[in-house]
Amino acid sequence: MRRLISISILLLAVLLVLPGVLSAVGGGYWFRVTTTIGVFSILTMSANLITGTTGLMSLGHAGFYGIGAYTTALLATKLHWPFFLTLPVAGVVTAVFGILLALPTMRLIGIYFAVATLGLGEIIHVTLLNWVDFTRGPMGISAIPGISLDGLFSASDITNYYAVAIIALLAALVLGRLTHSYYGNALRAVREDDQCAASMGLNVVGLKIQSFAFACFFAGVAGGLWAHTTGYISPGDFRFSESILILAMMVVGGLGSIPGAVLGAVILLGLPEVLRPIGDYRMIVVGAVMFFSILFLPRGLLGETSVLSVVRRQFGLAWDRTLNLGWRQ
Amino acid sequence: MTPLLEIKSACRYFGGLHAVEDFSGHVKRGERVGLIGPNGAGKTTLFNLITCFTPLSSGAVFFDDTDISSLKAYRVARLGIARTFQNLRVMPNLSVFDNVSIGALGALGHSPFAALTKRANYANDIGRRTWDALEQTGLQDQASELAANLSYGKRKYLEIARALALSPRLLILDEPAAGLNDTETAQLAEFVLRLSGEGLSILLVEHDMNFVMSLCERVMVMASGRKIADGSPQEVSNDPVVLEAYLGSEEEAA
Repeated sequence: MRRLISISILLLAVLLVLPGVLSAVGGGYWFRVTTTIGVFSILTMSANLITGTTGLMSLGHAGFYGIGAYTTALLATKLHWPFFLTLPVAGVVTAVFGILLALPTMRLIGIYFAVATLGLGEIIHVTLLNWVDFTRGPMGISAIPGISLDGLFSASDITNYYAVAIIALLAALVLGRLTHSYYGNALRAVREDDQCAASMGLNVVGLKIQSFAFACFFAGVAGGLWAHTTGYISPGDFRFSESILILAMMVVGGLGSIPGAVLGAVILLGLPEVLRPIGDYRMIVVGAVMFFSILFLPRGLLGETSVLSVVRRQFGLAWDRTLNLGWRQ
Repeated sequence: MTPLLEIKSACRYFGGLHAVEDFSGHVKRGERVGLIGPNGAGKTTLFNLITCFTPLSSGAVFFDDTDISSLKAYRVARLGIARTFQNLRVMPNLSVFDNVSIGALGALGHSPFAALTKRANYANDIGRRTWDALEQTGLQDQASELAANLSYGKRKYLEIARALALSPRLLILDEPAAGLNDTETAQLAEFVLRLSGEGLSILLVEHDMNFVMSLCERVMVMASGRKIADGSPQEVSNDPVVLEAYLGSEEEAA
């Protein structure tokens, strides 16, 4: 019941209150900021599955985001596919790339995995930049059609907002179920001690690949949303710095937490916009927020254990022996 | 009937070091077997070979007539060999319940699609197995506690509970009594006896001789990677070769 109420409040806020407020304060620019936050929320939630839950630090997420964006842009401009085909296809293509590229790195752990994924991200970026025949290289792809459906809705700020919001909610639902389930326990076991997990019968390599595939799927969809909502993409959007930004959002929000991932995106993208009046000093403030959040909140604002304890307090009944349940199912 | 676990001339070399050399031995169904030997004799390496944590250099391991020598560690676990670790390896950031559910997940399999579709039967099965293992080990009241907050002794039981959730046929315990006081050791021995009474075969390494001698029906002794004795606790403790391995020979002492 409580859960139903909190979900209704969330849906109401995202689908009615927020767009209403944004229209009231004058639309355009703030809608743009909000859709960017939405896209980065999806990216951070998905990267969180790999880094926060499965415990593999991925520094190449922007590369997969780029694969999704370019897949969408090319399908939409060259083959004129509509958004409801480009987005899922972008997700699947990215997931396939993710699995293929990740296979050789699956034996790596810790910092070695991080450096390998950093390399993967750079390879993707450099490919996008130099394969001029296919990706138009540094010129980027422009005039990508927006999100519209004949007779129902046309491309506009509001359409973009709803597309991003609905997909972000779906991503939160899917990733939430993966994380807050027994399956999520298996992923967490890989994070805590992969050898021990293997000796308990968990297929560690399989779990790593699965989490990579799901995360890349959503990174690809986020890339597709970015391409459709901005209308122009270039390799510069998918550099290493974006991967670091995603990582910073995860850490500020709290590793392993889905609300934390969204909160991280809101803070690190919203703060520079809100602080525009103080000019370039605002980046110092953003840096300070990151620095102090690491210093004083090593688990982030909504880190996993604190979120877990909240869940436990709220769902105390779920621990009842007679219900045979440990996790909310 | 063939034994549950049969090790045939197992060898493991680390470079020039012969950690386990030509070790043959077995564990029968329902038997409690102890493995003892001085430090560095290769006991833990042998455990790692049985659970396929470390690949064999040569030789073979059979479990229930299946050659498991070339299997991956998680396959061996699913076949029914569960283990605990010498240096406790509980997952500190997970709750006690979640720790134990790992074993149940190993036994019943883990699919992302079961999580996405909220397959209820599957979740109930995992929950039931987990609670059973928690109740067997007396940890049910601490189910929601973080593993990091448990006392050392309780963490030992947590590791055993996790192994039991796998519903193993062979339980391998690596120094279960290390760090426990006498009362706790006696309780643990009683607990292991009870598990054995339920039909579980047990293979354990332990330095506490009272524990081994009172609990095990048969003892294998290792020194420098080789098996030097195999017999009842009485036979082994009077074996001159064993005494020599532990205490040094008379000539050396002289």
